[in-house]
Amino acid sequence: MTIIEVKTGKSKRVDVVPVNVEGLKILTKKRYFFSWKKEKAHTQLYKLCIVGEDDILGVMALVDVPGDRRMEIKLLVSSKENVGKEKMYDRIAGCLVGFACKESVKRYGDLACVSLKPKTELREHYRNKYGMIDAGLQLCVEGLSLIKLINKYLI
Amino acid sequence: MNAKEIMNKYTTKELADAFVLSSNLTSKQKKQADAELKIARTKTQSEMADKDRLVLKLMQLKFQIEDYLKSESFNPKFTFSYFLKEYVGILNKKRKYFAREINIDETELSQLINQHRLPNDNIMVRLEIHSNNSISAVSWCKLVEKEKEHALKTNVSLRQKEKKYVTNKLTVHIR
Repeated sequence: MTIIEVKTGKSKRVDVVPVNVEGLKILTKKRYFFSWKKEKAHTQLYKLCIVGEDDILGVMALVDVPGDRRMEIKLLVSSKENVGKEKMYDRIAGCLVGFACKESVKRYGDLACVSLKPKTELREHYRNKYGMIDAGLQLCVEGLSLIKLINKYLI
Repeated sequence: MNAKEIMNKYTTKELADAFVLSSNLTSKQKKQADAELKIARTKTQSEMADKDRLVLKLMQLKFQIEDYLKSESFNPKFTFSYFLKEYVGILNKKRKYFAREINIDETELSQLINQHRLPNDNIMVRLEIHSNNSISAVSWCKLVEKEKEHALKTNVSLRQKEKKYVTNKLTVHIR
C-alpha cells in the first residue's frame, strides 16, 4: 500500500492500523477536522501512517454491519496539510477506502460490500473515483469494482 | 472547523480526494437507506460473474492467512490443513479431481486435509502454482512452521525427557 509525495512523485509505503487510546489524543480537531473521541464511541477507528513513522496522515471511522455483510465508512479524513491544492501526499483517502474493502472481503468473501451515505454534493465524485454504484440514499461497492479498488490501492 | 465550513473551503473534487463525509440522516431515512441498499445489492449479487466470486473468495483466504501469520498468537484451528481444506472448498471441486490437478494421490490429499500428514516442499510449490501465485509456497510453509513452533514451545514432556542428556548447563541466563 503506497501514497505518493506530490512534490517529488515518490512512493511511500503506508500501513493502516486501529487507533488506540494514545492515538486518540493526537487526533485533534485542528488537524483532523472532527471530534474523533465522539466517533470512537460507535465506530472502529483506523489510522494511516508511513511505515516506520508515527505521524498520522489519515483517519477513518468504520462500522461492521454483519447482518448485511458489509462495512460502512462513517467518516474519513486526510490530515489538514493533505487537503486541497497544496497537499503533500496523494492517495491517502484511496488507501483507507481500499483498506475498508479488504476488511470487508476478509469477513464476507464474495458477499463483501463497502457502503457510505454521502453528502449529496460529493456523490458523483465518489462514483467516479471509487466505482461506487447508486443504492438509493447510499453508495456501495462490491464485486468487480471492489476487486479493482483492492488491486489499485492495496496490492 | 465543522462539516459545513469544510464544504465551503474546498472544491468538491478536493473534498472527495481527501474525505468521505456522510450526510446526517434521520432514523427514518436511515431505515429507508438500508432497505434501498438491500434491494440494490440483491441485483448486483445476482449479476456477479463466477470469476469475480472466485477472486473474492481467494482474496478472503489470502487475507486471512496473511493476518494470521502476522499475528503473534497461535490459533489451533488455523492449521495448514484448515486452510488447504478452505482452498479446495473455494474451488468447488471433488477432492479426487483436485488431487489429480496437483498430481498427488487422493489418499495423500485426505491425509493432508485431516492433519495426518505434513506437506513437503513439492506440495507447497504445487499449491502456489495451482493458485496462479495467489497464495505463495512461503505462506503455506509459514503456516506449517507456526504449528511446529507452537508444538515445540509447549512441549513440556520433551524438555523433561531431554534434560538428562545435557550437562554443564550455563548458570547465567538472558531474557
